[in-house]
Amino acid sequence: MRESPRMTGPDDTPPGAPLPQPPAGFWPTVRRDLRLGVIAGLQTFWDLTKVMIPAYGVTLALQQLGVIGWLSTVARPLMTALGLPGDAAVPLVVGYLLNIYAAVGSMQALDLTPRQVTVLAIAILIGHNLVVEGAVLHKAGMNGFAFGALRIVAGLAAAVVANLLMGLV
Amino acid sequence: MTEFLRTFATGSFDLLLRVFLIVVPIMVVLEVFEGTRSFRVVVRGWARVVRHVGLDERSAAPTLIGFLFGLAYGGGVIVRDVRRHDLGRRQVFIMSVFLSMVHAIVEDSLIFIALGASIMWVVVYRVLWAALVTLALTALAGVWVRRRRRKGSGDLEL
Repeated sequence: MRESPRMTGPDDTPPGAPLPQPPAGFWPTVRRDLRLGVIAGLQTFWDLTKVMIPAYGVTLALQQLGVIGWLSTVARPLMTALGLPGDAAVPLVVGYLLNIYAAVGSMQALDLTPRQVTVLAIAILIGHNLVVEGAVLHKAGMNGFAFGALRIVAGLAAAVVANLLMGLV
Repeated sequence: MTEFLRTFATGSFDLLLRVFLIVVPIMVVLEVFEGTRSFRVVVRGWARVVRHVGLDERSAAPTLIGFLFGLAYGGGVIVRDVRRHDLGRRQVFIMSVFLSMVHAIVEDSLIFIALGASIMWVVVYRVLWAALVTLALTALAGVWVRRRRRKGSGDLEL
């Protein structure tokens, strides 16, 4: 791991080394930074746009095709393991495909105890908006699909462990 | 179909507007303050924390942005830094795992705390869980890469 050539590139200052100094003069520096910031901002905005909009379209299509309803039915038995009612599968799946706000919206319809809210919150906070955020990770050079799967599995595992621990306390 | 297209158009506009209004100011503020002493102090302090999950000082800034504001924005800074100075794949991997477990710590957590979730579990437990998963997966990926390298597919770096 440590002998990787990428870790010792010319740009790779060792941790703790002094960072490069900005050029002299306060206002010239600020002006240069503002310009660089706007350029970097627009570039990043464009990078994100290219991946987020198609991902959003796919997600909307999945929703319209009834995939959310179908997945919620499939996930129902899993909810018992979390100490949740079967209906809690809906906000979970909505959160996975859409976002936290949509998940919270569909949670309003359920009658949950504070403990159940916390368990469900942990699962949703770790795994949500998987298509769009997966696309961003893909852009950063990672495998978006693998990360989506990781967030579902790790989120459910975190919720199971939290539920068990809360039972002990 | 027209209904779908209309939702897609307005939704895309909303999404892009929100991303634009957050990303451009973040980048400008980051660029202006990146060189200042106080920003360095904050990043150094944060670097000392995230060192424990295997992140170096250059990964500290994107990780901090993602941790505070969200994966998309932190991811944006990661993409920028990957482009600017070739961040190692190992660092990008660790950042991605950590940030995919916990990001937008203030905004996302508050929504659920408002619904009645416990702050202790939603914040403290989640951060600890993220650190644990990050360490475990980094170790696992390290083993996997070393095994692949021994088999002879040499150009993998992690």
